[in-house]
Amino acid sequence: MSRSVQETDYDALSCRISAIVKGYMPCEVQIQKCGFSKYAEMHLAYANALRSTSRRAYGKIRKTVESALPVINYGTYLRTVSIDAVVSDFLEKKRDSEQLQILNLGCGSDLRAAQFLKRFPQCRVVEVDYSTSVALKIKTLKESPELVELFAVGSSVASQSTELITERYCLLPCDISKMDQVTTMLSVHFSPDAPTLVLTECVLCYMAENHSSQLIKTVQDYFNEGCWLSYDPIGGVEGKDNFGSIMRDNLRESRQLEMPTLMSFNDPAAYAARFASGRVPVQIQTMWQYYRVSVTSEEKQRLKALQFLDEIEELQIMLSHYILMDARWNKVRPA
Amino acid sequence: MKLDETIALLKQGRHVPEETVYKLCQQSQELLMYEANVTRVDTPVTICGDIHGQLHDLLTLFEESGGIEKSRYIFLGDFVDRGFYSLESFLLLLCYKLRYPDRITMIRGNHETRQITKVYGFYDEIVRKYGNSNVWRYCCEVFDYLALGAIINESIFCVHGGLSPDVTTINQIRAIDRKQEVPHEGAMCDLLWSDPDDVETWSLSPRGAGFLFGKNEVDQFLHKNKFDLIARAHQLVMEGYKEMFGGGLVTVWSAPNYCYRCGNVAAVLTVDDQMDRNYTIFEAVPAQDDVGNAIIPTKKPQMDYFL
Repeated sequence: MSRSVQETDYDALSCRISAIVKGYMPCEVQIQKCGFSKYAEMHLAYANALRSTSRRAYGKIRKTVESALPVINYGTYLRTVSIDAVVSDFLEKKRDSEQLQILNLGCGSDLRAAQFLKRFPQCRVVEVDYSTSVALKIKTLKESPELVELFAVGSSVASQSTELITERYCLLPCDISKMDQVTTMLSVHFSPDAPTLVLTECVLCYMAENHSSQLIKTVQDYFNEGCWLSYDPIGGVEGKDNFGSIMRDNLRESRQLEMPTLMSFNDPAAYAARFASGRVPVQIQTMWQYYRVSVTSEEKQRLKALQFLDEIEELQIMLSHYILMDARWNKVRPA
Repeated sequence: MKLDETIALLKQGRHVPEETVYKLCQQSQELLMYEANVTRVDTPVTICGDIHGQLHDLLTLFEESGGIEKSRYIFLGDFVDRGFYSLESFLLLLCYKLRYPDRITMIRGNHETRQITKVYGFYDEIVRKYGNSNVWRYCCEVFDYLALGAIINESIFCVHGGLSPDVTTINQIRAIDRKQEVPHEGAMCDLLWSDPDDVETWSLSPRGAGFLFGKNEVDQFLHKNKFDLIARAHQLVMEGYKEMFGGGLVTVWSAPNYCYRCGNVAAVLTVDDQMDRNYTIFEAVPAQDDVGNAIIPTKKPQMDYFL
């Protein structure tokens, strides 16, 4: 199971690179609002480095860039940009804090950290994942001089390392379903008092319900002030909507991939409830709502010109089954 | 070429030699060449929406609606792309057309073009199955000869997408030089790309081409041409069909569980001699039987989700 979950990172990365190659990203929100620069270059450098560190991942990228459908490029764009915007917004609001922290749980090949490290000098980023994913990411970053510079990794770290620890950026192996490992990682690398952004992008959906709820509780309890940003699929209401059950069966059959809570945290309200715990204000929207409301009409025009999108209805069905949730808490000054 | 043998091969989703495909496409072109842009069809007839390479569901469609041996059909286009059996689905329909020329009318959909099939899977499918793109080229040649619309008993207008601001009468459609790749704008493009919507007048389409049109445009078109109904496909409908504008327009969708993931049912619309409408709803062929054997013999289908 862990291997099939791990491999979903190649999907996420190759879709991101496909959307970049096709011109969906970087977009204005990323450049203007989030202050990203050399975004495409950073990703292409990573993809090129993978050529020598993982033929398998590199092959997947090549194939996806050739054949990703517009609906996949759209969804990847929306997912990536909506997350970037919230991360940027949170850090910007807390800009006056002496210290800012980002915890990326199940980070995979996510590279956005480099952009925020550059823009917020007081920000530290800790990314955790399976040990093999972390080892591959370290090796791949080390392979590219551009990435070594961007992540300020330095030459001291050996490319065979199992973890990477620098002053502002750490990449660590951690099994996030084991609370002893999570607790240790938190206490070693994080101040409980600095405002912290916690990110789970397509991560909680692969965890057993008791594991994800323990993780949420452990992390929320540790930090006094935080913002938890989570992107996941939701299965929809069974009987009324069978997208989720078909998705579950398809992924089980073709990828041996399980999504244990897809059908229990199946709508936005049910998904949000696990973070609310009575005191935390939660904002949640489906990606379709995000597309409708938050993407400007000029941007929609730009997207439309990139590729023919043959099926708006299909896009709507897909996007309505993915959510972005943003739960913020402040124990010192509750909202 | 033995048509019945090819039909048997196609129904099983088995490989058809390039040479056979070439001949099939040649003969189909010769037949289609003499069809008008808008063909006339008599009742009773069954109207079918998008197929999108879902061969096994196409076989269900025929089973559930009488079969080509007994019934007449109009297919509203989008035979190819997205599903795993675009080639077999399209060729099966061509074989039926050659075998039973009076029983099947094939209208061009927005996917029956070189540009769209390169993005949405048909081109890749051919290269995967044949190692080169020859068969794709033969099929694209046939696409250029497909009709743009059909009229049933002088009262139902059938088209893939919808109306065009450049078209008020059927004669204007008849005047189009259709034997070409679908242009990016203009009447021919709109007929294949437009969608009905709750709009006051012609509006910009959220798709890359065509227009949105509303009740006013439909009423005017029906009145001017003395029609009762526009039957079109092009849009996924979870319930298989959807009537709009007081019954003046219907969308028929015939690809159940579209892309093997949308969870919708499919429908076909049968119009009898009294012009009564009867919808037949059908569901997707399951991917596996009760004991886990694949019914749809695919190699690890690519299921597209965000992971």
